[in-house]
Formats: sequence, C-alpha cells, structure tokens
Amino acid sequence: MCSGRIDPQFILKAFQSGADGVLILGCHPGDCHYKEGNYKALRRFYLLRKLISQFGIEEERLKLDWVSASEADKFVRTINDMVETVKALGPLKRIPAHTSTEKGTGDLQEIKIG
Amino acid sequence: MSGRIGVYICSCGTNISDNLNIDGLAEFSAGLDNVSYVKVHKLLCSEEGKNFLSDDVLKESPDRIVIASCSPREHEKTFRNTLQKIRFNPYLFQMVNIREQVAWPTPDKSEAAEKAKAYLRAAVKRVAFQEPLEKKEIDCNTDVLIIGAGPAGMEAALLLAKAGRKVYLVEKNSFIGGRVARYEDVFPKMECATCMLEPMMDEVMHHENIELLTCSDVQDVIGFLGNFVVKIRKRAAYVSKDKCLGCGACYEPCPVTVKNELDYNLSNRKAIYIPYTGALPNVPVIDEAHCLRFSSKDLDICREAFELGLITKEEYEMFRKKDCTACKEACPFEAINYDEREEILERKAGGIIVATGFELFDPSAVPKLGYGKIPEVYTSLEFERILSQTGPTGGNLLMKNSKGPESVAIIHCVGSRDKKYYDYCSGICCLYALKFAHMVGKKLPSANVYEIYADWCVPGKDNQAFLDSVKQGENIQFIRTPLPVDVELNQDADRIKLSCIDVSTGKRELIVDMVILCPAMVPAKNSRMISEILSISNSKEGFFAEGHTKLAPVSTNIEGIFIAGCAQGPKDIQNTIAQGAASAGQILSALVPGRRLELEVTTAEIDKDACSGCMICISLCPYKAITLDRENKVAVINEVLCKGCGTCVAACPSGAATSKHFTEQQIFAEIEEVLK
Ligand code: FES
Repeated sequence: MCSGRIDPQFILKAFQSGADGVLILGCHPGDCHYKEGNYKALRRFYLLRKLISQFGIEEERLKLDWVSASEADKFVRTINDMVETVKALGPLKRIPAHTSTEKGTGDLQEIKIG
Repeated sequence: MSGRIGVYICSCGTNISDNLNIDGLAEFSAGLDNVSYVKVHKLLCSEEGKNFLSDDVLKESPDRIVIASCSPREHEKTFRNTLQKIRFNPYLFQMVNIREQVAWPTPDKSEAAEKAKAYLRAAVKRVAFQEPLEKKEIDCNTDVLIIGAGPAGMEAALLLAKAGRKVYLVEKNSFIGGRVARYEDVFPKMECATCMLEPMMDEVMHHENIELLTCSDVQDVIGFLGNFVVKIRKRAAYVSKDKCLGCGACYEPCPVTVKNELDYNLSNRKAIYIPYTGALPNVPVIDEAHCLRFSSKDLDICREAFELGLITKEEYEMFRKKDCTACKEACPFEAINYDEREEILERKAGGIIVATGFELFDPSAVPKLGYGKIPEVYTSLEFERILSQTGPTGGNLLMKNSKGPESVAIIHCVGSRDKKYYDYCSGICCLYALKFAHMVGKKLPSANVYEIYADWCVPGKDNQAFLDSVKQGENIQFIRTPLPVDVELNQDADRIKLSCIDVSTGKRELIVDMVILCPAMVPAKNSRMISEILSISNSKEGFFAEGHTKLAPVSTNIEGIFIAGCAQGPKDIQNTIAQGAASAGQILSALVPGRRLELEVTTAEIDKDACSGCMICISLCPYKAITLDRENKVAVINEVLCKGCGTCVAACPSGAATSKHFTEQQIFAEIEEVLK
C-alpha cells in the first residue's frame, strides 16, 4: 500500500472521528515503490487542504511530508513538529449544525462519509 | 463478517512486556466484540512459538486471527507462512505492532497501555471485514529478447544461451560488437579490443540458441513478465547470409561512393559495403538510400563520380538507367537478391534486456572548440578509428594531409561535469585520454602530448597504476584547467592555436596539430523511442532509469525488463559486461522453466455495475493495467499487470474500484477504532 491509496475520505473520516490533526507521510518523490503514488497523493493533498478550510478546519491540521525508511530522525522531528502544531491550535471544534452561526463554518457531523 | 476472532499477544521476550502490561492488554482484548479467545506467548516468532501458533489455531479453529507483536516488516511474512501451512488463509490475519509503535517509543506505561488498546481495537474491528484471498499463478515463457548486440547484450545472450534459453538478439546495425569492436586497444592493460571481442562475437553468431537479427529494430512490445509479444522490423539487406562468404568482390564494381558514417565519416564506402574490415558477421549490406537501384537522388552522386573521373561516361550512362546490377554480376556466389523485402517478425519472450549503448555529446554545441570547422579536431570515437588498424589510416596516426602530427592535445570533460551541458562525470574519459596519450607515444615517439584536464577520475584497482605509468612518459604534459570546455581552439595557418587557463601559470597558449575532444557520454538517440515502446522510465539525463540506484541497478520500473551497459548510464567495458551478466542472472532467476509465476494478491477490482466508464483510473494507473471495455463502457483491470498500489481506488469518483485487503470498509474501521 502506498500514499497514492489515501482517499481524501480517509482524512475526512479521521477528522470526523476525533483526530485533531492528520499527517500523511509518503516516500520521497521518485522513490515511491509503486512509481508515482506520492505525486498523486500530493495533488490530492493540495485540493483537500483547500476543502478542509472551507469546513472550518485550519489548514495546518493537515500536513504531508516525505520520509524514507532510513530517516528515523526526520520521522521523529516531523511527528513532534506536528504534535506541537496541533497542541498550539488546541482541540478541533466540532460544531453541531444548528448551533453554527458563522457563515462558512461547516458541520462535520453532517458530512456523510463512506 | 466473522464471529470468532483469536487474538495472540507476544511479549517478545521482555521487549514488549517491559513497558506494557501484557495481561492487562489480554484482558482488554478478551472483552472486544467477536473475540472468542486471547493467548499470550513469550516469543511467537521462534520455532516453538510458530508450532504453538499452528497447533493452537488448529485446536481453536478461529475464523480470523489478530497477532499483536512486532512490526509487520519483521514478521508478517513469518506468520502468514505459518498460517498458510495449516491451510488458514493468511489474509484473514491482521498484525498489530505493539513493539516499534508502542513499547519502544512510548515510555509512559499508562500512555503505552492506552495506545496498545486503541491499536488492538482497530485490528479486531478491521480483521472482521477481511476476506480470504487466493494466490494466482500463470505460465511463463522463458525465452529472452535482447536489444543491442554490443558487449552487454552479447554477454547476456551467451550466458542465457548456455543456460539453454532461446535468445532473440536484435541489432540495428548489420554487425555486432557495438562501439568497442571498432576500438584498437582498451585501457588499462592495452589489450587489443578486436582480439578480446572476437571469440565472443564468434560464439554469439554460431550459438544454436541465439537467433541473431541484424539490421533490425523492435517496433512494438505488449505484455508483461513471462509473456511479452514483440514485433521486430527486419530491414532488407539484399545479401543472403547463407550464401555470402564475405569475399568482398561486390564492393569494387559499385559505382557509388559515399562517406562511411560507421567510420564516423573518416573514410568512404560503396553503396554495398561492410562498415569496416573485420566487422562481423562479415556480410555486406546494400544501402538503399544510396544504391542506384533503390534511390534516385543518387544520380547526383553518380554524376559527381563521373565528373571527378571516378567512372567512365559509359558507366555513368549505364548507371543512369538505374538498372545497375554491378554487384550482383560481380558476386561469385549468387548471394545478392534485389527482391528481398523488409519483414515484420513476431517473437514471444518472457524477459527483455535493453542494451542499446550510448552516444557522444556533439561538441559542435560548443563553438569555441571549433569541432566540425577545424579539420584536425576529432572526438574520441573518431580518434579510436584513426588509431585502429581497420580504420581510415590503417592504424597509422596521420592527419588529413597524411602527415603525422607533431603535437596532440587531448581535452577532457567536454560537456561533462558542467551544469550548462551534462552535470555528471562519464567516468571513463580520463582513462581513455591516458590510453590515447600512451598510444600516440607508441606510434609517434617524438610527438608532444598535452592532457588538458580539470580533475582525475581513475577509480578501480588497476587504473591509478595506469595513470602513474603514463605520467612517466617523456613527451607528455599535464595542464590543469578549471573548465576544459572553456578552452578555445582556432585555426592558425595549418596548425591549431589552443588557448586555456593553466591553474598553475595562468593564461596559456599552445600550438598543436591535432586536438582530441573527450565529450560526455549521452543516451543513444533512439532511447526515448525505446522507453515509449517498452514503457520504461528514463533518468533525468535520458538514460534508462534503474529500479534502485544501489539494490536494483539493472532492473527497470517494469517487471521482466532489464537494462545493461551504457544504456543505463556511462560506464567502462568491465562494468558493462558485469551488467550484461547481472541482467542475465536476473532473468534466470525470475523465469524458471516449469515454474509458474505468482501474481500480486492484493490487486484492485472494479465493480462493473458501479463503473461509469469515466476513465479517470486509466490515466492514473502507473502500470497500464486498466483498459476500457468499449462494448460495456466500463474499466477493466488486468490482474496480471496490477501491482495493487491503490491509486485508482483513491481516485474513483463512483466508488467502483476497490483494493483487495485494503477496502474502504477495512480502513474506515481502523480509523474509527484508533480514534475512539
Ligand atoms: S509506496 Fe508510494 S508513496 Fe510510498
């Protein structure tokens, strides 16, 4: 399995199920075991980041990075950075539809996924 | 859905139990939906552990299994094999990593316990949705197609043929041996190149398992590892290989004279010719583009020949009629057949080796070097011919005016190690430049040689000694310059003025008679086309891209297609041969007679009823595994080609594509449970 298998729905599902941040990690460009899955993941990531911000989810809560199996240090750094980012943002507010007042704040409970 | 899940927890000696309360985790797991029992073991991957697992599974007969232990990278295969042996479908098993992902990186025991619970919950939920999957196998063809009959292609062909494989060796030229067959001596031991290659070429031509197809190119390839179908275009040569003895009686009477491009235009040839003396197979070909029978524009050439007094008026008149049969009449063996036609051949092969060689960077792209304008400026390949006994000067080191040069400059790194042209080092130029210096010294002991270089690249066990011995030469000078491509060459009466920066003395000018450029080795011209035909990738320089720089240097992105020699990147003959042998080894191990090929199990599937035929997946598939069933307007996946990357599944807007073993339902179950 490959970062190219990451369906945008997986990310939305994670946010819906209680994740405060989602980190997608793939092989470095050119190193994908399945040739080009990570390029596809990158394209989908850009689109998805736009989409989540329309749902009221800060773009920083979704991150994509490349880490190879030999990059233990980078792996640790990337995870710790992400944890820092999410801690700074605090828990993701999930606002039920009927209490939503601001325009443009989506309702996560109502997004039907899967 | 399953109702009887067996959970096994391994404490990995104390690796896991040191930081994780195994009993607590067992108790928690026992309380999860559908779990019918939980067992704990000290070392499940040991022989004793595997026996325990087999016996216990047979005894309990669960319908799904979860094993919480180390990383799947470590032992997923081990457990799958153990289960397979007792006929428990290995795809009904899920592994949880509580060592690398929990016990080791999470020092806080209660945090570790919570994490382990989340992962177990996810696996138990997921495994319930898993389906049994069966391995599939197909028959394979063990014959091999090799493109290019240079050293790499010949080495591979011989090894495979000796192992009993049928080999189709396709060569675009009329002769084999590649560029090396046209060299005189090779570094570092100054061996005679032809003597070195001849026995090999002879074997290639006569081996019963090798079908040598010269004057041929591959036009189309379809299929996959074990099952390729190849279309080969064999151009008409008009000379029968079986009848021709290579006596050469046909060249003389041919009225057409043109430049011999296979001698880098340094000599002339006829329209029926062999490219150089000693070329093998020693059978001439008729060059349609210039032969009077086949081309009309060459009446001009004929007229020129007449005007130059090379042929008589009667001859000219006869040839003008375009029914020239001069060669046929001269042939004592009736080997010439003007009616031969181009053929399209079809061959089946299980594996393919691409060994199409290299070309040189064209130095005329650097105007300061005067290549193509100053007559005595040569490329290294041209100079190889000048040194060769079968070359235009019969191996005498002569300039175009038939005199020997008094001084020769050799310029390294032309177009290589330079961002403006090619940023890589070709790795062999220093060594052949030294060889040239040595050979000039041998042929013309009084001639001065200047090596204009930037850095030395002479790796390998013999090469430093070679450099040191050449440095001993009396008439050889080494001039180090920052960027050899910045050297300026100008015609100066009948000599050449060379201006460069010498790092030790500053600006420097020399007057020399002959200059040899060492241009970067670049991909062969047809390599883009070959990549397209075979769907193999190119590296950014345009050479064929290897599967992995270190671990898979002769593999490509397509299973069953291998690369060898300079087609993969610049290298010397030794490494070329090594890659030829490596690619043959890869094929011998990938395609074994009588053995069937195992296919990827976790491929993608398309639900015909849900597919709208939008074709998004077709354009995304990196393996060309998806096609459109035009009649039913739905996408169809070729299970043999699909590697199961899942990108089509992630992209399908109708939810028609699914990944076996990685379905949406399975992944959603995991996400939900981990985050609960
Ligand atoms: S295998 Fe495709 S991104 Fe890692």
